Amino acid sequence: MKPEQKPDQQPLSSAFVLRINSADLVILVLTIVLLFWVYNHLWFNQSSGKADYMVVQIDTQAPVQYPLNQNRLLELDGRKGKSIIEISQGKVRFIHSTCRNQFCVFHGWLSAPGDTTACLPNRISIAVKSHSVKDTEHFDALAGER
Amino acid sequence: MQLHFTTHHDDHRIALLAALAISIHIIESAFPSPLPGIKPGLANIITLFCFIRYGWQTALQVSLLRVLISSLLLGSFLSPTFLLSLSGALLSLASLIVVQWPFRQHLKYQPTAIGYALIASISHICGQLLVAWYFFIPHPGLFKLLPVFITFAVLLGLLSGIITQFLIKTNTARA
Repeated sequence: MKPEQKPDQQPLSSAFVLRINSADLVILVLTIVLLFWVYNHLWFNQSSGKADYMVVQIDTQAPVQYPLNQNRLLELDGRKGKSIIEISQGKVRFIHSTCRNQFCVFHGWLSAPGDTTACLPNRISIAVKSHSVKDTEHFDALAGER
Repeated sequence: MQLHFTTHHDDHRIALLAALAISIHIIESAFPSPLPGIKPGLANIITLFCFIRYGWQTALQVSLLRVLISSLLLGSFLSPTFLLSLSGALLSLASLIVVQWPFRQHLKYQPTAIGYALIASISHICGQLLVAWYFFIPHPGLFKLLPVFITFAVLLGLLSGIITQFLIKTNTARA
């Protein structure tokens, strides 16, 4: 004997079929377009500006600027010893530093405006910048300076 | 002296739905999130359900009650978390209303819960990010997180849309 089923209470297993109409599809397509646009605009569009100078800060000395349009090697004296920085074709890298971990060397080339690297034991930091790209360095997550 | 409140049937329904949403919100906050800022947002299923079944007024009341009371219970009232939660809830509801507007005339092409859930989840995270940017971290680099957030918003929005559709389907017969 089968228990009689009320007409308004169907079993859940057979009742649910996913329903999508044309308005949903329009929204879905717009969402995917937005997703592609966001990725393209914010992540893969880094060539907006080329860096044309860099700022080097050693220990507590005043920062010094160097142009990036001439290739050369800089020997900088930090707290622990010499660091050698190479400038070549608008890019900068550490090629030698007297620190243990060599993070600064492994960081590789800096080329996009805003890129920074530092050798903390040697107290040397470098940042590449551009005169044409707006500087956003005055902002701070904690201080919230504007 | 005795106070008398006359409560309407609608008030009971709002209280019930808000209680459900608050419970979901609090249970969900007990689970650690894989990435900071990314949460399934299951409490918004209730908001969405209210929006589709009872209209935006009910949804607004339920989501405001949910944000307020769950922040009081979790101890984050008037903190940045509360502000982010509130802004997300308000912006997602506002964009739901805006999206529903053109479809008002043609009820045949009203989006289902899935379309609404996508809209709600994306605008929720956008609202939160805008408020975070405006009040807490005014750095344009914050928007580099937007692709990650929107990806997860789409996936979790689809999930909550499917759940909402299931809810609506199973609740239609009794209404």
